[in-house]
This record gives sequence, C-alpha cells and structure tokens, in this order.
Amino acid sequence: MRRSDRVAALAAGIATAVLFGFVALPILAIFLKVSPSELVSQLGSHVARQALLVSIRSSLIAVAVIVLFGTPAAFILGTKRFRGSRVLTAFLELPLVLPPAVAGIALFAAFGRFGLMGGALRFFGIELPFTQAAVVMALTYVALPFYTRQAVAAFASMDQQLLGASRTLGAGRARTFFRVALPLARQGLSAGAALAWARALGEFGATILFAGSLAGKTQTLPLAIYEQFGAGNLDGALAMSALLVVVSAGLFVGFRLFVRNRGLEPEGAGWGLRSSSTIA
Amino acid sequence: MRRALALVLAGLALVGCSKGSASTSSHIKLTVLAAASLTDVFPKIGAAFTKSHPGVTFTFSFAGTDQLAAQIQQGAPADVFAGASATYGDQLARAHDIGPYKIFCTNRLVLVVPASNPAHIASPAALATKKVKLVIGSESVPVGSYTRTVLDNLNSVYGAGYSDKVLANVVSNEDSVTSILAKVVSGEADAGFVYVTDSLSAGSKVRTFVLPNSAEAVAFYPIAVVAASKAATVAREFVDYVLGPAGQAELKAAGFGPPPPQG
Repeated sequence: MRRSDRVAALAAGIATAVLFGFVALPILAIFLKVSPSELVSQLGSHVARQALLVSIRSSLIAVAVIVLFGTPAAFILGTKRFRGSRVLTAFLELPLVLPPAVAGIALFAAFGRFGLMGGALRFFGIELPFTQAAVVMALTYVALPFYTRQAVAAFASMDQQLLGASRTLGAGRARTFFRVALPLARQGLSAGAALAWARALGEFGATILFAGSLAGKTQTLPLAIYEQFGAGNLDGALAMSALLVVVSAGLFVGFRLFVRNRGLEPEGAGWGLRSSSTIA
Repeated sequence: MRRALALVLAGLALVGCSKGSASTSSHIKLTVLAAASLTDVFPKIGAAFTKSHPGVTFTFSFAGTDQLAAQIQQGAPADVFAGASATYGDQLARAHDIGPYKIFCTNRLVLVVPASNPAHIASPAALATKKVKLVIGSESVPVGSYTRTVLDNLNSVYGAGYSDKVLANVVSNEDSVTSILAKVVSGEADAGFVYVTDSLSAGSKVRTFVLPNSAEAVAFYPIAVVAASKAATVAREFVDYVLGPAGQAELKAAGFGPPPPQG
C-alpha cells in the first residue's frame, strides 16, 4: 500500500467513525438521560398515549393515500417517456427540498379558509385547517416524495421486456401491472413506503402550522414533545422521543425484515432491481 | 486525494482564523431571549441602546416564555432574559440560571377576532354559545395560562360553566402569542386570546374586545441578566436601560402598562 493510500484509508475510516458517532450519540443519549422506570411511567401519561394514537392513525392514513395514488403515478412516470415526464417526476420530489414550514403555509394558501380552494371547500361545508384531515394532509404532502421517488426508480429499473412478454402472451394492461410490474417492483415500493411512513411519523413544521396542536385530536408525538419541552417536562419529552425512536426504527426494521422473509426480494441481480434498494 | 485533503485543511484553517478575528474585535453582541409578545418593541429598544452604546449589537430570540426558560435551563448562550410571566422568572432565579429579576412592564389579555369576523362574534359571551374556532396558548406558555385564569374568572360574569364551554371550542393550543395572532389575522381562526399589545400591533386586521374588569389577569414581565452571560456588565446596562425612561417610553408607546411600584 502506498503511503498516500494509507492516509486516505485512515481519513475515510476516521470520517466514518465521526459520522457514526454523530448520528448514534444523540439517539443513545435519549435513552441514557431517562431511567427505564421513568420512561415507562412517562409513557403511561395521558398526553403521550393520546399523541401516539394520533400519530399512528394519521401516519397510517397518509401512507395509505400515498401508496394508493403514488403507485399508479410512479408506474406511468417510471415506464413511459412522454413530453414533460421528467419535469413531472422532478416536480413530485419538490416537497423533499421544501422546508416543512413552507409546506404548512402553502397548504394554508391552497386549502385554508381564505385559500385558493377555500371558497369551493366552504361550498361543500368543508373546513380543513385545525382538523385531523389537516394533519393527514400535512403528513401526506411532506412524506409523498419519499415513496414516489423510490417507486419511480423501482418501476424504471424493471426489465421492460418482461412487461412486453406478458402483453405478447395475452395478458391485458391491468393484469400485466398487477401480476408482473407490482411483484417486480415490490421491494422498492416497500422500502419507499417505509421511508414515507418514518417521515410522516416525524413531521412537525407543516402540521403545527396547518393543523394546529390539540391533544387527542391534532397533536402528534413530535408536537407533544415540543410542548412538553416547553412546559419544562424534559423527562416527558425525552420519554416520548424514545418512544418515537423505537416506533419509527421498529416499524422500519420490521418492514424490511418482513419484506426479506416473505421472499419478496429479487432472486437475482439480473432483474435489474438495483436502484430500488439504494436508499433504504 | 491529497489535493482534497489540502482543501479540507485550508478550510479548517480559514474557519479557525475567522473565529480568532471575531473574538479580538471590540464589538459586543448581546443575545436577548425575549417573550414573543416583545417581538415588535424590543428591537426598537435595542436600536436606541446601540445609539448610546456604539459597538453593542443585538441578537434577539423571540419565543414562548416557557421555551425560553427551557433553553436557558439547557444552557443556551444568552445574556438577557425577558419573559412574560413572573412564574418563569421565579423558577429561573431559584435555580440560579438568572440573576434577581425586576418587573419591567405589564400587559393585559384581550379577545381578538379577524377584521372580517367570520363567526360573527359580538362579545366574549359568544365564545360559549356557539361553535367557534378558538385558538389560545398552550398551558405552559404564559399567554395560555393567563387565558385559562381569565376564563375561570369570567364564570362570575357569564355564568358557571362558561370556561368549560369556551375551552371545548379550542381548536389549537399554540406555542406562542405570535402564532395565535397569526392564525387570527389570517382569518383561519375565528377568535383568539392575545395581549392588548399584540392587538395594537395587528392594527385594523383584527377587532378587539376588552374583557370585563373583574376578569383581568395582568401579565407581569420579568427581566434579568442570565447567570452564564459572558457580557454581564453590558447586559446589566441594557436591563437598566429597559427599566429606565427611554425603554419605558418605547414600551408605553407599544401599549404595555408600567410595572407596579416596587419596594
């Protein structure tokens, strides 16, 4: 090994260690700052249970909406090339780089009482801000690209010839989508859904602006953590943070294991599913 | 690779230099953690102070007093604390996070509705009799705890149960008075409880209802030098300035009441 190579390897090793410590230490600290018994008693609190319920419920609905609308959209964007398809794909990723506070204001501007759609919604007797629907909308808006991004990549990296073969063998478009494309892209789609879910669970800025914060109704775990911190209940905030870490990481890891155990992973690399597992 | 390393090193060296030069300059930067209701008036007082004390500049951080207190307890670098509740002043002083505080002004709670008044609210009594989207402060933020006290006191004016009925109409517990005001000004909320100074700063964008005298909860604003301040002398001067005639004039112009006579 040349000297410069050794230095480079050392530098890379140090960089990795620093990065790992930087990510791991705060998470570790959450668990070390609260005693386990305190953790359990704090989690039994009314505020924590209510917030967990709101978080789980709204994030699940958001992910369902995202998958329902995102999958067909991603299939079209991943497999068809048409004028503007690239622009459209890039546009769906916009919430990734949008500050959540901006997303919250934007939702007000569009769907608020005096927003662009406010009049139309009012006509049907619908008022969105400060409702559970508003929470779901905020989560959906912010988490959406985490799914579509993965899904588009998964569909795009399928062997398109397999779709062609399916069609030649007499399967219709719908049958081909459900029996060939979906199984092929499944791993990428699952990874995307898991990422979107984790992002939805952690959403803060757009929610507090567009949906407000009311315990048992619109107060998600992140909002409750913020409120408890403000109220001087650092232990409570830490306990709920620990809960959020466990729930998010648990769901995420569980989802990945489930995907693997069910044999949903691609059997060979030859199917060109590489890009689907890059992020997760 | 070598070139990349050199670049990184050069970058580190630059950061080091800039840090060094900043600390040797004669400028003093005061970090002031102040209640959200002081958002408009404190920069004005700061600007006036800078005129008589050249070289002193300010960084203001406005938030709910509860968040400010939590930040100070967590060791946030700050020089001056100016909150909206003596409770937090007591709490911080007891823990020696701040020096002894003084009350520098008072404020009163009012009910505001958007100028368009979408819920057709004609008096505070209406908050209990119909479906209203009401936005108040969370329990831990001073404006929120004052609001709850005021609502309880109003039971004697509007009848027992008034407070409970009003609280049932709350759609959001906000983290600071500024976010309450924003949601009322934008018309997304039907009503909110804020300080009279906030309603003045919102001008014609809101309609203000003064609450009956018997209900008034007066907010006392404490100010103190933060114990960990590295510029305590200048911080002390600024606190005295706020308590002095120039600071008091600005506060009065913004609608704040004078501090009670202290003995």
